[in-house]
Amino acid sequence: MEETRKWRWGINRWFVFLFIVLGVFAARAYSPILPHVQLPAEELAGPITLPFVGEIYLTNTIVATLIVDLILLLLAFAVNRAIRSGELVFRGVVGAIQTVLEALYGLAESTAGKWAKQFFPWMASIVLIVLLANWMELIPGVDSIGQVHSVEHEGYPIQELGQLGNLSIVTIVKENAQAVSESTHDSYSIVPFVRVVSTDLNFTVALALIVVVMVQFYGIKALGLSYFTKFINVKPIFSKPIFGVIDFAVGFLEIISEVSRVISFSFRLFGNIFAGSILLFVIGSLVPVFAQTIFLFLEFGVGLIQAIVFGMLAMIFMAQATAGHGDEAHEGA
Amino acid sequence: MDYESARILGKLIGAGLATLGMIGAGLGIGVVGSGALQAMGRNPDASGMIQTNMVLGIAFAEAVAIYSLVVALLILFVG
Repeated sequence: MEETRKWRWGINRWFVFLFIVLGVFAARAYSPILPHVQLPAEELAGPITLPFVGEIYLTNTIVATLIVDLILLLLAFAVNRAIRSGELVFRGVVGAIQTVLEALYGLAESTAGKWAKQFFPWMASIVLIVLLANWMELIPGVDSIGQVHSVEHEGYPIQELGQLGNLSIVTIVKENAQAVSESTHDSYSIVPFVRVVSTDLNFTVALALIVVVMVQFYGIKALGLSYFTKFINVKPIFSKPIFGVIDFAVGFLEIISEVSRVISFSFRLFGNIFAGSILLFVIGSLVPVFAQTIFLFLEFGVGLIQAIVFGMLAMIFMAQATAGHGDEAHEGA
Repeated sequence: MDYESARILGKLIGAGLATLGMIGAGLGIGVVGSGALQAMGRNPDASGMIQTNMVLGIAFAEAVAIYSLVVALLILFVG
């Protein structure tokens, strides 16, 4: 048995205690409100007219996407530098990334077999991007710090906290209903600077379309043009007369199943994360002190599982597409 | 009653009714879990593969619950 270290007072627990106390005081001083929730992402900056695409806006989910990309690029540079330095054992962040990637590669090998090397970049990229995007809603400041702008109804009065240059930092104050209806000339609502990317349908549908297109691509790469006999299956009509027509109809159903995969992928991720963020808003406005912590843990788990499920389903569909028509019977799913 | 309040009433009742679809998803997840646990009991060596496939099955079943949730949210916020 090694000798145990003498128990000492740690420093981190005091930080946690300090944040809890600050949180309790902040919740008592300025009660949180239920923000205005809308399905499309809110725009922050005005329209930029591109020649081919038309008008695009800078929405707050684009800001979140840029932050996710920045974090991933920094991680990639860190891993690159650690590999170039020639050590065998990595420590810290790079070691953690190595563990995660090894686990993902193990999953890829057990599912895809000999195509694992080609599928692994797609699956791991999707898992890392969706994971970072989902976990951004746990960071304080996301979905809560933003611009205030006045609305006609359903707004709250504001109070100025301080000045920063010539920007004034304001906070929304929740008065009782009487005070709001009397002073209707100042009712404000908040548009967050950063909103969780997965709550934007553009992001999830884009990822789903990429996955479905890449599944077809790998199917053609593995089987050649006979991959399309999965969908348009004319030969069994001639070889086995009556049941061949059933095979043809099954091929037609496969096309519908591919389209429904796009919808299923995108709405699974979107629904989980959007519902989770609304849940955090509602609980945060009702019981701001301790109850939201439990739901933050739930969102942590949900974000992780949805990212892994997205990546694994993408890889399983790719593996099915390359497996060929004959093996379909015993693969199921 | 006037049109606005009838619309809000319809919205709220519709959103509440749309969440009845989650009953099926809950039953489905229970069936997947029970199948996985029985399989793990019969063959404890295959626990890793069974667990992986169980998570997949749960994700598929939960997606249907998410569809009904999205319909309810659409009725409430976009209707």
